[in-house]
Amino acid sequence: MKLRLLVNRLVALLRTRRLERELDDEVMAHLELAERDAIAAGMSPDEARRRARRLFGGIDQMKEEHRDRRSARWIEMLLGDLRYGLASLARSPAFAAVTIGVLALGIGANAAMFSVVDAVLLKPLPYPEPDRIVRVWEAPRPGVTNATSTLDFLDWQRLGTSFEALAAEAPISAALTGAGEPVRLSGKVVSAEYFEVFATRASLGRTFGPDEDQPGAAPVVVLSHAAWQTYFGGDPGILNRRPILNGEPHQVVGVLPPGAFDRDDAEFWKPLVFRPEQHIRDGHWLTVFGRLRRDATLQQARQEMHAIDEALTEVTPDYKREWTIVVERLDRLLVGNRLRQSIVVAFGAVALVLLIACANVANLLLTRGAARKKELAVRAALGASRGRLVAQLLAESAVLCLLGGAAGVTVALLLIRIATPILSEAIPYTADVSLDIRVLAFAAVVALGVALLVGAFPSWQTSFGELARSLNLSTRGSSGAHSKLRRTIVVGEVALSLVLVCGALLLFRSLLNLQRLETGVRTESVITMSVDLPVHAYATPESAALFYEAVTERLESVPGVAQAALSTHLPLQWINHGMGMQIPGPDELFNVRFKRVDPGYFDMLAIPLRAGRGITDRDRDGAPLVVVINEALAAQLADLGGMQDPVGQAVRLSVPHYESGSEMTDVQVVGVIRSERVDAPGAPDPRVVYVPLAQVPSTGVKLMVRTQAEPASVMPGIREAVREIDPNLPLGDIATMQQVRERTLSGASRPAWVIGAFAAVAVLLAALGLYGVLSHAVTERRREIGIRMALGARGRDVLSHVLQNALSMVILGLAAGLVGALVLTRVLESLLFEVSALDPLVLAVACVSMTLIGLLAGFVPASRAAHVDPIAVLRDEG
Amino acid sequence: MSTHKTEVPYGTLDLLILKTLHTMGPMHGYSIARRIEQVSERDMRLSQGSIYPALIRLEQQGWIRTEWGISETNRKVKFYALTRAGAKQLRVEVANWEEATALVARFLEGKP
Repeated sequence: MKLRLLVNRLVALLRTRRLERELDDEVMAHLELAERDAIAAGMSPDEARRRARRLFGGIDQMKEEHRDRRSARWIEMLLGDLRYGLASLARSPAFAAVTIGVLALGIGANAAMFSVVDAVLLKPLPYPEPDRIVRVWEAPRPGVTNATSTLDFLDWQRLGTSFEALAAEAPISAALTGAGEPVRLSGKVVSAEYFEVFATRASLGRTFGPDEDQPGAAPVVVLSHAAWQTYFGGDPGILNRRPILNGEPHQVVGVLPPGAFDRDDAEFWKPLVFRPEQHIRDGHWLTVFGRLRRDATLQQARQEMHAIDEALTEVTPDYKREWTIVVERLDRLLVGNRLRQSIVVAFGAVALVLLIACANVANLLLTRGAARKKELAVRAALGASRGRLVAQLLAESAVLCLLGGAAGVTVALLLIRIATPILSEAIPYTADVSLDIRVLAFAAVVALGVALLVGAFPSWQTSFGELARSLNLSTRGSSGAHSKLRRTIVVGEVALSLVLVCGALLLFRSLLNLQRLETGVRTESVITMSVDLPVHAYATPESAALFYEAVTERLESVPGVAQAALSTHLPLQWINHGMGMQIPGPDELFNVRFKRVDPGYFDMLAIPLRAGRGITDRDRDGAPLVVVINEALAAQLADLGGMQDPVGQAVRLSVPHYESGSEMTDVQVVGVIRSERVDAPGAPDPRVVYVPLAQVPSTGVKLMVRTQAEPASVMPGIREAVREIDPNLPLGDIATMQQVRERTLSGASRPAWVIGAFAAVAVLLAALGLYGVLSHAVTERRREIGIRMALGARGRDVLSHVLQNALSMVILGLAAGLVGALVLTRVLESLLFEVSALDPLVLAVACVSMTLIGLLAGFVPASRAAHVDPIAVLRDEG
Repeated sequence: MSTHKTEVPYGTLDLLILKTLHTMGPMHGYSIARRIEQVSERDMRLSQGSIYPALIRLEQQGWIRTEWGISETNRKVKFYALTRAGAKQLRVEVANWEEATALVARFLEGKP
């Protein structure tokens, strides 16, 4: 149909009343004129009137045709059906409320989940031309990523021609002072071209100029939109302010637009300026991003980097000769396999919930359809075609589903709001989870799909039931086909729920295993925080060492504090600092994780010593450099150099200088400790070397305090103690050791809770469906039950009869569900920790609990049946 | 049903109305119906009322427009007039019609 015609018809639809009146007037005028002509031709007025009418033809047929022609008739009918649907829903508010509620849950959960899927998996990265953004890194072995050294980065930048921009970043933090309590900000040092890689311009001011990352440039800083709002109240004059970061005034040159960069950890960016001693190929500390030139493919970039790698062989240290350079698209990297899998599994689970919700609604509609049979029969008898009746039923289910969908959007909004803080840790910062137009469209499509699905059943059933005959039948007669379909639906619901329950139980079992997992460190009543010493105030390693000593001593005198310790990396967290080690014999250099700890560390975290000694107060500046190694490294030493007893042996270790640079140094191994768990479970323990913090001080440390009392109550005392030592030092990242542990293991716990919640909803819906069918059956068969009881059946017999009925459905459902579970839980396998996807205990628990829930759902209608009064029923029969 | 009068051939009522308005200028419904009857010299069976559904459709297509006028019986009544698009459509329909009749005619001449 042409657009113009359609528009005109829709307009006509709105102006129906006026058009009708005009048509009446026209007909009247026509007849008058015809009469006048006939009289002029010599007829009598009566004759003339009859003749005019005759010539005109059927007025009502004409009007009907006029209506058909002028407007889209089907829309009129649809509107009528929708109105009728609304009215009939209003007549049974309880039915409407339950149905809309069930649909809102199903559609809402799906829309919320879709917003996550969309943000993480479907939407492109929130930067212009995101497929041109790549990450570049050095790979010691296939599949292992390594940060990049300064010289390698500079060579790539100099020689690489495939990139429009190539930039490096490294994390930093800084104390913001000058306005009350000092605040610790996280930030990044980045090359001048950094924002060109992401094609992001400042929304206020500018980003970095090309020379601002050269030595000697004035200190400048770019703020995130969020940081500008939080710390500077969104001051529009921010570009004229010079906030003090780490004791040095910085010129704010720009503020970034809100969005992706706000969800990143960083709150400020400073130019990355390399100091002379950083010009080495050993220290791997940079993360490198690039934007491919418009005409360069990923393949070209890879080939070019490979060629550069070859060209640099001469200058590359021996141990890195075998390393390769990897170029990978950023969007491929941000979403890890595990996250992708978790999301897909959760989306699958929520789709099952929707299916169950649909089944429930279809069931409710069927039950209602049965009750309305008479009404439909009357309409059919009055001439409604089967098509019209189906259209009407579909329109009614559409009304339900659209209302359910609208309520579902509200549910989704709520769910997203609840989930956002939990999700933000789990998903990449580039993902913006929000209820946007795409999610709304998804919800609308789901609602309409559901309308078709649930509307089809009752329509089909109703139309095939011989309506005319049902007029003559008693309403008490139950339709066999109907109840069979309803039972099948319930069996399906039980089966789907069982699949979800199995999945959830498996994930919880896995979670339980993780919780019981021996992490090898004390996590009770330990509170942790980050401290960063500004280099200008602590210019020498000695000054830093003095601070450590003073702060632990002072802290241990705070009431409620049992012990204080320091290290460069928190326990259980990945040690992102790798250094080269060499042992006599095989001259080969290998990479070890490098962690600096103070004398209190092993004792406070209850990490047991396996051999030799730990780190003591005597291991300080001036004393010979010593190290403690973990069992994993001891095993490696035994493996590589046949060093069976490492204690007392000398090894060569690349030791970092206070500010930057490093040097191969002879150190003595004095002890071996049991490996503490690092990073998420499943991975093998990394090889770790522990170096005394006092001998190799660092500006960034983690402070750990074991408390005797509730950690929160001791926190003010801790703050006060640190302030006494240095009033300009902010404490950041305050978290209990329990929280650190959670964070490390959380990758595994999140899907368990999400699937668990979905499974709970599914079970509830299945129970509701079972209850509905049984209670309907009991109502329908009241008479039969009454007769049976009159003939001597006892209440107990009736009860067990109904329960048997329930049980038969549940058992059929369980059988079907087990098959589904065996197939579907396999997709969970990689998310499970020390549980088999076919865990018999889980399957058994799931079956037993579903059976119990089924019996529970059946019990209410069963006991109602058992209390049927035969006399009352038979009297009703009259 | 009587057979001595032909019914309006399918789809030609539109053409007749357009042609009438083209020749006669703006007219109200009754005179359009009369005019069609007169031109066809009563060889054609036309319920006069059937022009109204055709008129509303032509109006919605944008081929004719309406304005209010006064009838010979002093009643407010709609006058229909051809629009520019309607004139164009008339040419198209006339051409189509001629093509169709020519085709049928050739066919009926029964060239072997």
